[in-house]
Amino acid sequence: MGDQPIISVANLTVTYAGAERPAIDGIDLEVNAGEYVGIMGLNGAGKTTLGLCLNGVVPHALPAEVSGALLVAGIDPRTRSIHDNARVVGIVFDNPEFQLSQMTVVEEVAFGLENLGVEPAEMPARIAEALALVGLEGVDERSPFALSGGQQQRLALASVLVMRPTVLFLDEPTSNLDPIGKADILAIADRLHSDEGMTVIVADHEVESLAEHADRIVVLDAGHVVMNGLPAQVLARVDELGALGLRVPQVTEFAHALRPDAQELPVTVPGALVWLEAR
Amino acid sequence: MNPDAPPVVALRDVRYVYPSGDVAALDGVTLEIQRGQVLAVAGQNGSGKTTLTKLLNGLLQPTNGSVAVLGRDTAGRRVQELARHVGYVFQNPNHQLFARSVAEELAFGPRNLGIDEAEVAARVAEVADAFGLTGHLGAHPYHLGFPIRKLVSIASVVTMRPSIMVLDEPTTGQDHRTAGAITRLLFGLRGAGITVVCVSHDMELVVAVADRLVVMRTGRVVADATPREVLADAATLSATRLRPPQITRLSMALSAGMEGPAALTVQELLRDVRASGLDRVGGSG
Amino acid sequence: MGALGPSIEHVRGASWLHSANPIVKLAWLVGTVVFALATYHPVPLLVASIVGLAACVSAGIGGAVGRVLLIFAPLAASILVIQTLAPASCAAPCAAPVALGPFDLFPGGMTHGLSLAARILAVEVVSLGVLMTTHPSDLFAALARMRVPYLLNFMVSMTLQLVPILQREVANVLAAQRSRGMRSSGFGSVIPAFVPVFAGAFERVQQLSISLESRAFGSSGRRTSFRRIGFGPMDVVLASLGLVAGAAGVVAGIVLWNADRTAGTTLPPLLVVAVFVVAAIVFLGVIAAGIRAVLQA
Repeated sequence: MGDQPIISVANLTVTYAGAERPAIDGIDLEVNAGEYVGIMGLNGAGKTTLGLCLNGVVPHALPAEVSGALLVAGIDPRTRSIHDNARVVGIVFDNPEFQLSQMTVVEEVAFGLENLGVEPAEMPARIAEALALVGLEGVDERSPFALSGGQQQRLALASVLVMRPTVLFLDEPTSNLDPIGKADILAIADRLHSDEGMTVIVADHEVESLAEHADRIVVLDAGHVVMNGLPAQVLARVDELGALGLRVPQVTEFAHALRPDAQELPVTVPGALVWLEAR
Repeated sequence: MNPDAPPVVALRDVRYVYPSGDVAALDGVTLEIQRGQVLAVAGQNGSGKTTLTKLLNGLLQPTNGSVAVLGRDTAGRRVQELARHVGYVFQNPNHQLFARSVAEELAFGPRNLGIDEAEVAARVAEVADAFGLTGHLGAHPYHLGFPIRKLVSIASVVTMRPSIMVLDEPTTGQDHRTAGAITRLLFGLRGAGITVVCVSHDMELVVAVADRLVVMRTGRVVADATPREVLADAATLSATRLRPPQITRLSMALSAGMEGPAALTVQELLRDVRASGLDRVGGSG
Repeated sequence: MGALGPSIEHVRGASWLHSANPIVKLAWLVGTVVFALATYHPVPLLVASIVGLAACVSAGIGGAVGRVLLIFAPLAASILVIQTLAPASCAAPCAAPVALGPFDLFPGGMTHGLSLAARILAVEVVSLGVLMTTHPSDLFAALARMRVPYLLNFMVSMTLQLVPILQREVANVLAAQRSRGMRSSGFGSVIPAFVPVFAGAFERVQQLSISLESRAFGSSGRRTSFRRIGFGPMDVVLASLGLVAGAAGVVAGIVLWNADRTAGTTLPPLLVVAVFVVAAIVFLGVIAAGIRAVLQA
């Protein structure tokens, strides 16, 4: 792991064609290789746009004015095709079904490999590996549309992982899932980070899960970065986050009521137990 | 709530099998809902919770058993007729929104019921005010953000003034701010004496608003009690496979030092902790 | 798709027909269609149908095919009834009608009706035989192997996937609108029923296209294919056989069986009456069921 961050963003501003205001307005951000970054923000804060800038969909496929510096694995995504960026950045979106298009599960996973021109002989092994990573076994020939929501989202993730990206961006992956589906997808993201060493960026409202797994939390509001730091520190700013319309883990809210001045607060149940005992 | 009053909804040994399948989506459900209750229905996808709610407004008819709404059996009654009494808000607002303006959308339901235009206009204004939509009345629903569309979809059913409201996952996919607004709206409905049936896996919403929590698994009711009795009890939790709110988990972990059942909200845990003196060391309490 | 009655979906199996090369199957299908369109005489068409049905039965899909053909029965009955009573084309002058009460039954017309029905039947049986034993993915892979452009393939397969999805969405929207008191029929129900579906479809397509792009779809450069259909020498022979059989059938059809429409087959009067009565019963039964369904809706 070199000392250059894998993602570096400086004064990035993105205004979609025909929009009155920028979707992203001068943000600075760095993500190191192997980090797990959680992004919080209301709908419209710029989370999706940020992800789409990383893989070049903005501005190649979605016309927008993009200014500022942006480097992903040392290269500016704007200077190369989405095709080439797709080898580095994989994105999973919020609606599982809207990401699926093929007739069978294996073909869905194969889709990205076909687009990249991978040799057919290599494909079965890579497909099996991706499906194993997300725990989708025994459904190879089923139609993606016959799967449950949680399975569909895992399939969408597999179809991205098969391309072996270095950076994984999950854009509100849990919002259309039931609790088991939510837990599964976030557990997989966590495993990819801790076992596979992937750089994982998760934008989501499941703040309790983010708090548990993320190395760092970034808060976006109306296209600006307003907070960026360790979960225990960022989430301790309970009142500020509340004013932005964002919630913190319940244990953090609880601890904040007991110690309103604290700069760092527990964000998980075990953390809260330790915190209470230490006082 | 008058315990002697007849239930507004009564399901008797209801079984439902989808025409295409051989699995019973509902397998012997008996349930009564009293006027003015706020009932939450939870369970994993496939547990039968949505099937249950679709029986209430006639979208589905039971394969066996009976469903009675406001004292009358729903058999043979059409959805459009039951819509007068049971308002159903679908999970995806996009399944409902079609009109050119929010006002038209809110007026659609009461107009279908044959309410006269003056009354319709009055209801639209009143409900828009209650939902904070007055400034959006002229806007095209699809030009509004998803959170507002959700509010519009709920409002467009409230204008029909049903005595029973069914909501399917009202806070799912919503950010915190909108979830809060929806929770307050549900309080408002309850305050107006409307019976509310809310399918949700958002345990924080359930804890905040529901009088009663029914948990379903594989087509059967596996728990039917107050949220506290269901979520704060370890044995019931393992039967229902629900995950209680984070604060409840903390409360249960701390239970050694405290009296009474586990806390369901942050406020409750604060109260418990202060009462037991666990917060005594340092800091302002 | 089940909502529309028995489905014309791939039925899993391991029969000879299931494992046959999809390109070969398509070739036989093309041959049959060409033959059916070119042939007038009902007997060879019926023979082709029976052979096709036998193939389906031996492949284990006889039941599934039979169920779909049952839907075809009312159509066949109505064709027979109408053509027998008021023939569109027959030997001129139409052979002497057989009297059945107040009705005049024209044997020439019945022949014409049988011909039309048999034509449809032959094409249906072979189509079902191919569709039900071939996984859609293999069908598309076969088309790709025959150099149908990938984009076209993708568009067709995507459309096929979207049909049941949109059906489901229409059902959801109708349920939501009926729950708000909307009447099921009449002009007022069209917009509330379809605007949400279109809006939903539009949103779906927008998000799907971003997801596809993010997986390098539509980019320049070489595109490989996961599912490959072999096409060896044996397959070439079998496929050619199918096309040749079709061509031969066309020639025979034109020369032997089509040439003189004025000849036609003269059916014995008893047979005409019997077939007509059966067809009429089926026909009237369908009309009665239809009226009942409309009244109950």
